[in-house]
Amino acid sequence: MENNNPLSPHIQIYKWHVSSLVSIVTRITGIINILAITLICVWFASLLFGEFNYEIIKVFLQSFFGKFIAMGITWSFSFQMLSEIRHLIMDFGYGYEIKTTNITGIIVIIFSFILTILIYLLGRQFI
Amino acid sequence: MRPVTKKWLFLKISSFILIPLMLWFIINFVSFYDKNYQEILKFLTTQPSKFLFSLFLIFAYFFSALSISEVFEDYIHDEKIKNAANKTLNIFAIFFPLITIIIIFNLSL
Repeated sequence: MENNNPLSPHIQIYKWHVSSLVSIVTRITGIINILAITLICVWFASLLFGEFNYEIIKVFLQSFFGKFIAMGITWSFSFQMLSEIRHLIMDFGYGYEIKTTNITGIIVIIFSFILTILIYLLGRQFI
Repeated sequence: MRPVTKKWLFLKISSFILIPLMLWFIINFVSFYDKNYQEILKFLTTQPSKFLFSLFLIFAYFFSALSISEVFEDYIHDEKIKNAANKTLNIFAIFFPLITIIIIFNLSL
C-alpha cells in the first residue's frame, strides 16, 4: 500500500526555537545513547577474554580521551532523562503554551549540565 | 486500540521505566569506568546490579527501537526501505541485549 503521508520538513526549513533545538538534540542524544550502550556491552563482553587483554581498554579509559567520552556519555544520558521527563509531563497535557515550552526547554538544557556534574560527584563519591 | 496508539503507549511506559534505570546505571558507570578488571567484574557478577543492568538493557533497546522507528517514519518515504530498516532495527534490538545478558550471566569472579 502506498503511503501518502507527508514527510517531515527537513530541519533547515524551520526557524530555530528552543523547543525545536531540544527536540532535535533529544533525537541525536537518543542515537548517541544507544550507540554508547552498545559499546558498553562490547566492553563488558571483552571481560570474557581475561584480565591481561583488558589492560588495553583500561589504559584507554584512563586517558584524557577516555574520560572525555565518559563525561560526554554522562551528559547525553542526563539530557535524554530530563527531556523524557519533560515529554512525560507534556503527555499529561501540561506546558504546551509557547512561553512554557521555551522555559522548560531552557531548563532541560541548563539542568543537563548541572545533572552531569551532580552525577559525576555522586559517582566519584565526592558527595 | 490502533497500532500507532499501542506503539505510543509502549514508548511512554518504557520511557517511564527507563529514566530511573538510566540514572542508576550512569551513576555506576561514572564510578567504575576507569577501574580495574576485578572491580568491573564484581559489578557485573553481583546482585542487584546484574539484574538491574539486564533490565536496563532490555528497556534501553526496546525504547530506542521505538524511538528510532519514529525517525524512520518521519524521514523515509519509501515503504520497502522503511520496512527493511525497521526489521533490521528490531532484530538488532532483540538479539544484542539478549547476547549481552547471556554473556553477563556467564561471567564469574
